[in-house]
Amino acid sequence: MAVKQRHLKKLLRKLLLSSKGNSRLWAALLALCIGTTLLLLSVMIWWNFQQLLEGKADNDSLGSTFMTISKKVTDENMAQPKTTLFTPGEIDAVKNAPQVRDVGALTSNRFPVYATLNASFGFATEMFLEAVPDRFMDKKPEDWYWQPSSMQVPIIISSDFLNLYNYGFALSKGLPQLSENSIQSLAFELKVGAGENTATYRAHVAGFSDRITSVLVPQAFIDYCNKAYANQESAPPSRLIVRVADPSDKAFIQYLQANNYTTNSEQLRWNRLRGVVEIVSSATGLLALLLLGIGALVFILFIELTIARAQHSLSLLLQLGYSPRYLGRFMMQHFFPLLLLTAAVSMAIATLVQSACADWIKQMHLTLPEYPGWPIWAALAISMLILLVLVSRSIVMAIRRTAR
Amino acid sequence: MQLSLKQIIPTPLRERINAYNSGIWKQSLNFFKGERIFLQAPSGTGKTTLVHILYGLRTDFEGMVYWDAYKLPGSGVEDLSKLRAMYVSVIFQDLRLFPELTAWENLEIKRQLTGTVSEADMEGWMARLGIKDKSDSPARTLSYGEQQRVAIIRALLQPFEWLLMDEPFSHLDHANIEKAAALINEVVQHNGAGMIMADLDDNDHFPYTRKIWL
Repeated sequence: MAVKQRHLKKLLRKLLLSSKGNSRLWAALLALCIGTTLLLLSVMIWWNFQQLLEGKADNDSLGSTFMTISKKVTDENMAQPKTTLFTPGEIDAVKNAPQVRDVGALTSNRFPVYATLNASFGFATEMFLEAVPDRFMDKKPEDWYWQPSSMQVPIIISSDFLNLYNYGFALSKGLPQLSENSIQSLAFELKVGAGENTATYRAHVAGFSDRITSVLVPQAFIDYCNKAYANQESAPPSRLIVRVADPSDKAFIQYLQANNYTTNSEQLRWNRLRGVVEIVSSATGLLALLLLGIGALVFILFIELTIARAQHSLSLLLQLGYSPRYLGRFMMQHFFPLLLLTAAVSMAIATLVQSACADWIKQMHLTLPEYPGWPIWAALAISMLILLVLVSRSIVMAIRRTAR
Repeated sequence: MQLSLKQIIPTPLRERINAYNSGIWKQSLNFFKGERIFLQAPSGTGKTTLVHILYGLRTDFEGMVYWDAYKLPGSGVEDLSKLRAMYVSVIFQDLRLFPELTAWENLEIKRQLTGTVSEADMEGWMARLGIKDKSDSPARTLSYGEQQRVAIIRALLQPFEWLLMDEPFSHLDHANIEKAAALINEVVQHNGAGMIMADLDDNDHFPYTRKIWL
């Protein structure tokens, strides 16, 4: 049966698909291929930019998606510290702000803290502590927990502090520069509370944070001490940490400005970059659509020309009892694989480009996926679907014109 | 399958038809399964027009044609294809072969459509009508008589309940007409089919059940 089918297809090919004018076909396919590739690339530009912004752990040093916001300290509110705290209503409002996916409060200590570094060094200082919910931390050390019976407190300090010490302070004072490991091996004591009501804990630096410029202890420790030594059940936070889907979004930036909130303005540089990326992406997309349109037009014209040229054979086949549906399917079986081939070539190019980009961007200590993600596949599927619909429509119409 | 004609008047022939009493035009007729109809049709009376109307190739007429539930005009293109592939076969006066295909390919493309006749039978029929040796010759290089025999065999390579013939033997000699008529008769009988034979002059190639003047 299969052999017979093949033989019949051979006869139909002989009658309906002349090989004349094939250069036009190849030109159309080339235009379609370039158009599809450009379309995929324009989606990839946009998608990769999104990937950088979405703040996978490795990309976080860009400060892309987590930011701390606080109320601006102005001449007017300088004297009233309470006005720079966030009320529960304001926190809810931030939760609902554009692009904001999650909000956490930075809880600070309301009790005195006094740190003593190993008596022999004779180094002691008053200090502050803060805590954030664990889900906002970029690095969580293994021993990052605390319970009231535990006398050992892990601490995370901002890597900025270490840099300030190593490159600013130590050099000018002739003090030794310290590595992360050496700091982590230091043990010191934390004395919390005042007067009669005090306690001393052993503390050590458990890690360094690129994300949060503060001295962090586990949330449980701050909550416990605030209650025990400052008699405060819950204190309103003065800083919020927010996870933002797209910090370059204009609406988000306008929201911050409207509410007089400040953040690390460096994090907003994406806004300008985003403008550039949008222009490049849409220019590529526009060119892609233009090429796709021209390619599709030439391709469809080629099919219509083929059918018109085979008019005589086609009408005789219909007179012999071949159905328009069967002949239409035969034409589609001939032309669809060519379209799918262009799709495959375009997707292969897109995949190569993506993996090259991923390799290249690794040198900048950023991470992009090795393979194109679903938006690129979706763009391919949608453009192919539209092409297939257009082409099958033109085949069916052309054959029906003959059948009438 | 019953064929019914209801008051058919082809638009181009309207005036001429009004001038005489036709046995077909403007009549309401029923042709029953298995009937053998001979239509005697002098030149210009619309013989080919009628065959084309019955086969669904023309719509420039008044009245209706019914092949059981299939009606003309009014059947969709897919229905027409089914009617032509399964129920009604035709030998055109102008043969209508694919000139670029060989005799064998012209037959094969019809045979493959329904697959009701075996390749061996088809080649046997070619041998009976004396065109087996022309199998590989392109149709355009065949003589008109040879092409006519290819067209006759082609019409038999499908299931049918009616066979329409428009001057099927116009270019054949007596010996070949006899062979062709015998083959057609055999297949028509085997199918239990009816036939409508349209020709210029009276003849008795087939055992007609009715003879009608067009």
